[in-house]
Amino acid sequence: MIISIGCDHIVPDIKMKISAYLKSKGHTVIDNGTYDFVRTHYPIFGKKAAEKVASKEADLGVILCGTGVGISSSANKVKGIRAALVRDVSTAKYAKEYLNANVIAVGGRITGIGLIENIIDAFLDAKYIKTPENEKIIKKIDSLIVNDKEQFGNEHFFDEFIEKWDKGGYPKE
Amino acid sequence: MKILIGSDDNGFELKEYLKKYIERQGHEVIDKTPSRGLDFVDSTHLVASGILNKEADRGIVIDEYGAGSFMVASKHKGITCAEVSDEHSSKMTRSHNNANIIAIGSGIVGRKLAEGIVDAYINEEYAGGRHQIRVDMLNKML
Repeated sequence: MIISIGCDHIVPDIKMKISAYLKSKGHTVIDNGTYDFVRTHYPIFGKKAAEKVASKEADLGVILCGTGVGISSSANKVKGIRAALVRDVSTAKYAKEYLNANVIAVGGRITGIGLIENIIDAFLDAKYIKTPENEKIIKKIDSLIVNDKEQFGNEHFFDEFIEKWDKGGYPKE
Repeated sequence: MKILIGSDDNGFELKEYLKKYIERQGHEVIDKTPSRGLDFVDSTHLVASGILNKEADRGIVIDEYGAGSFMVASKHKGITCAEVSDEHSSKMTRSHNNANIIAIGSGIVGRKLAEGIVDAYINEEYAGGRHQIRVDMLNKML
């Protein structure tokens, strides 16, 4: 499978372990960054990693930040993405089987690498169970975001905030 | 503090339990799903809309795994939801993400852990500062 991955500056080392793990299982990895510990902002990478999945360039996504909340929230705000943020294997499996989740998120400062690998295995191995009930609820979830014209694939979507940050418009602490 | 709460059928019992628990801590709870029969899309939509209408300070949504409610809440512009099953994430997401809703899975999280998650979420304040740029980014998203 082709797996789109992304993280913030808190956990790039763990993302690299995940990347190596996925490759060792024979998957192709698209790494959307960030690539080091230099301070940056999780929505940039959550959006980028998720859009690769929404556009079908990748089959599934694996994303992480400190708690996983920031990056998975930004992923879910991409049309067509159903991201689950998990700390256990059961939820990962459920999310794929019942909600056909296409992105899995973990907290790099919450969950250890052993469990993260187990979660990824379960998520990748689980098969969506197509039933009228599941189809109905997925359709309801997907219909919540309608028009994403200005957002999708727009690399300049966050520019106004980055410019403000660069000009010292946000506190550094 | 005012808390909105809501659940689907699977989360109903934990919702009833947490409602009483939060009230005992001295907070006001508004139950958006007083009767059974909703799926997690509809129950979460009620809570998310209530938060966006400024009916309360924070929201809690519950279904069996938490994952479905999390997806639904996140797809409301202006909502930052955290799917949590541990106290530390619950505290940090208030502090760093300014999360206005948390999602809990009643099949995953037991009552005592749920109490700890709710306490951590309610008692923590948003830190602001450098975190604001990320919150601004999230709020611009759909």
